[in-house]
Amino acid sequence: MISRGWRMAAVATLVVVLVVFLTPYIWIFLTSFKTRLDALADVPVWAFTPTFEHYPKIFIDKGYLPLVWNSLFVAISSTLLSLTVGTPAAYVFARYDFPGKEDLFFFFLTTRMAPPISIVVPMFLLFSVLGLTDKPIAVILAHTTFNVSLVVWMMRGFFADIPREIDEAAMMDGHTRGGTFLKVLLPLAAPGMAATAVLCFILSWNEFLYAFILVAFEGRTLTVGIPGLVTPHGTLWGQVAAVAVVATLPILLFTFLVQKHLVRGMTFGAVKG
Amino acid sequence: MGVSFNQVSKVFADGTVALNKLSLEFDKGEFVILLGPSGSGKTTACRILAGLEEATQGSVFVDERDITGLPPRERNMSMVFQNYALYSHKSVYENIAYPLRVRKIAKGNIDSRVKDIARVLQIEDLLDRRPSQLSGGQAQRVAVARALVWNPDICLMDEPLSNLDALLRLQTRTELKRLHDDLGHTFVFVTHDQEEAMTLGTRIAVLNEGELVQFDIPRRIYHEPATRFVAEFIGRPAMNIIEGEITEGLFKADVFEVPVTGQPDGPVAMGIRPEQIILKDGPTDEAIGFELDMLELVEPDTLLFVNKGNASMVVRVMRDVGDLVRGSQIHLEIPHRFQHFFEIGDGRRRL
Amino acid sequence: MGAVLDRGTAPLLLVPSVILLLVILVGPFFYMVWTGFTDLHYALPGRDGSFVGFDNFRRLMQEDQIFWKSFLLTMKFVFWVVTIEFILGFALAMLLFHYIRQHRFILTLLLVPMMLAPVAVGLIWKLLLQGDLGMVTYYMRLIGIIDLRTAVMSNASLVMPAIMMIDVWQWTPFVTLVMLAGLLSLPKEPFEAAVMDGAGPVQVFRDVTLPLLRPIIALVMLLRGIDAFKEFDKVFILTGGGPGIATEMLSIYTFRINFKNWDLGYGAVSAFMVYLVVLIMCSIFYKAVYWNEGRAKPPKAGKS
Repeated sequence: MISRGWRMAAVATLVVVLVVFLTPYIWIFLTSFKTRLDALADVPVWAFTPTFEHYPKIFIDKGYLPLVWNSLFVAISSTLLSLTVGTPAAYVFARYDFPGKEDLFFFFLTTRMAPPISIVVPMFLLFSVLGLTDKPIAVILAHTTFNVSLVVWMMRGFFADIPREIDEAAMMDGHTRGGTFLKVLLPLAAPGMAATAVLCFILSWNEFLYAFILVAFEGRTLTVGIPGLVTPHGTLWGQVAAVAVVATLPILLFTFLVQKHLVRGMTFGAVKG
Repeated sequence: MGVSFNQVSKVFADGTVALNKLSLEFDKGEFVILLGPSGSGKTTACRILAGLEEATQGSVFVDERDITGLPPRERNMSMVFQNYALYSHKSVYENIAYPLRVRKIAKGNIDSRVKDIARVLQIEDLLDRRPSQLSGGQAQRVAVARALVWNPDICLMDEPLSNLDALLRLQTRTELKRLHDDLGHTFVFVTHDQEEAMTLGTRIAVLNEGELVQFDIPRRIYHEPATRFVAEFIGRPAMNIIEGEITEGLFKADVFEVPVTGQPDGPVAMGIRPEQIILKDGPTDEAIGFELDMLELVEPDTLLFVNKGNASMVVRVMRDVGDLVRGSQIHLEIPHRFQHFFEIGDGRRRL
Repeated sequence: MGAVLDRGTAPLLLVPSVILLLVILVGPFFYMVWTGFTDLHYALPGRDGSFVGFDNFRRLMQEDQIFWKSFLLTMKFVFWVVTIEFILGFALAMLLFHYIRQHRFILTLLLVPMMLAPVAVGLIWKLLLQGDLGMVTYYMRLIGIIDLRTAVMSNASLVMPAIMMIDVWQWTPFVTLVMLAGLLSLPKEPFEAAVMDGAGPVQVFRDVTLPLLRPIIALVMLLRGIDAFKEFDKVFILTGGGPGIATEMLSIYTFRINFKNWDLGYGAVSAFMVYLVVLIMCSIFYKAVYWNEGRAKPPKAGKS
């Protein structure tokens, strides 16, 4: 049906598209291995002798390594917290009717969409009162604002995908409601839960504004460290690129793991993908 | 003394009345069929017995124990679901063993019981598989094995055959019957398929619009339907019903008359099953002339669709109809002993 | 329906999540609203948060031209990026859908920009667009698109288009991903019926594809719209709102009022405006996507 010519044109277009979308990232990746001379060359340099000096320099000598640990700690904690409180809620949404259900659903949606810039000031004041500023816990809690609803929305979908008869079969097999949830439904939803966890992790790891305002020194995450890299005079692009690579490469690898569920995660369960 | 529903009603949150004062009693060891069209409340009745649904009113007793408010796990019942509801993350073996494990049966016991029931259902070769690797018929057997492995008081089945294709459905039906005969379990079986009901059940409860219409052995359901609804629901093609009036031993419809016996006068609906009408070779005293409108071969039988005025009937004949074609004039006898009479208003059987 | 047990108590499982969100989100929200009625200021003496009624609101709505300029800039940004991303992303999805059988691998590659942390994207593009040394500026100069030796980010007329382009670069793949999922989820029959009825490719697209995809189109545009409206990270890294206030979008403006001027009372009103707009878009999203045709509507724990 489709002529050869059209198909060739389509493939050519795609190649151009891929070049456009990938080259910037590849360039950064390459830059992180370039000497200062290569990085600042007048004409872009594509082939060069790599240097590995930037990574130890920025992460060890300049102390960016703790930022990586902070990011990891914040992202993992926020993910676990969100899963813990969000999964039971998702289960209730998937299996029960109660008054105000749709309103509550909408509420969760709004928390996911809430603009950080609006909330971060009063949140900062609240955490000051509670003595939580500059502690990772502040960022962890801030990140649950969007991650809890992500969990609720995604897990609701995964639970809804499990036929209701499975619950009933488990109860006929001798489980209580609670046992059914813990022993049968959770194991069945485990793959979806893993995907949800990865997405939570990514969102938290990538988040900037909350972290930027809520922790200034000790607890800084990697994204918070990024603006400090850009100075008015003489930016060390090799090191900047190294930070950018470390901040993004693990996330890209993770992405490939959850690609199947990505659409659902990013569209609030509206599109299954 | 078995199982009894006492005046059980169920009204759903949206106001739908699924069951209206159902009272039903049957004994242990029976193969009870809950039969009805969709929306008749048959599934609801089964689920209330299972404890998966709460009765709005009324109570359910098993062996004189009130189980109305008990959760499913305390009822000693198992269930085979329409879509089988196997645990996709467990092997077939683990699926069957699961109720034993949940019910804390001793480990050593589990293995032998799983293997025993697997042998009965001829699924020993499948024990290592995952549910996703099973065909529909195999999954169905696994579901049955899971339901029977721990010897529950009652095994409930909610349309367990409806997801199988036609041939397999027939085979499985036979096997279920054999299983019941051999093991002596109590089965409660929900279906909308009257043929399944007739072949499997020791007794059939016919439900319509949330009410029990008739509860009887299959033979009587067929031969003495309690209402016009049962009469039309049981048997394929459905019973012919012609509305008319009886005056002095003569049933008169628009365009024809049939002599009847032992029926008081009054408006009435007369029923006659297609397979009980007799096709005559030519005009006789008892026979009525009809025009043949359409003819279908259902080998080895033939279905004749006939008209007289605005009355129409279906006739099932078990013989070669030879040279009959559309428009032929044929002669039919409606034997006395096969005539059914129902009230025009509430459809009850006339005695 | 199913649930017999604990039907009354099961919703209690919602309590932890709701309480958590009430404390860390709804509480601060109302505190923000309250602050908007005060003169709280961290840098000026005597501005300790006395009640000033609607003063801040009035000032913002009637006198603050910079706010309205910023609002307009944000709206323009939202309009252009959503439009361009949608057209490009949808076209790309159609291309993948019709011409490429093994699109999974290509999709994987396409995902790269959207999964990068927005600050990292800002950083990457800052590097790529340096005036003299940027890789992208070099090649643009080479093909003659721009002839500039100054940094793009300090050129008042180029900076907004550049930021839009970066957003398009980052989020077009998202549109492609969702639209492709939408295309793949469509039933085949309407298309076959249209072809049997004699419709050509253009008519099929206009009369079948578009109407069937309408809910997903609404979804993707609203999601992108809400996100673009909140845009902060990239702009913050790339320009910080400059040069001058050329790229000071609402979130950057709000940031400046609060964290540079420390005018928290006034800043709260600005923050509230941002929240309000997002909330409105959110309810449109909910209505359009979840109530439209009852599609993915919050599930009734329905009857069997």
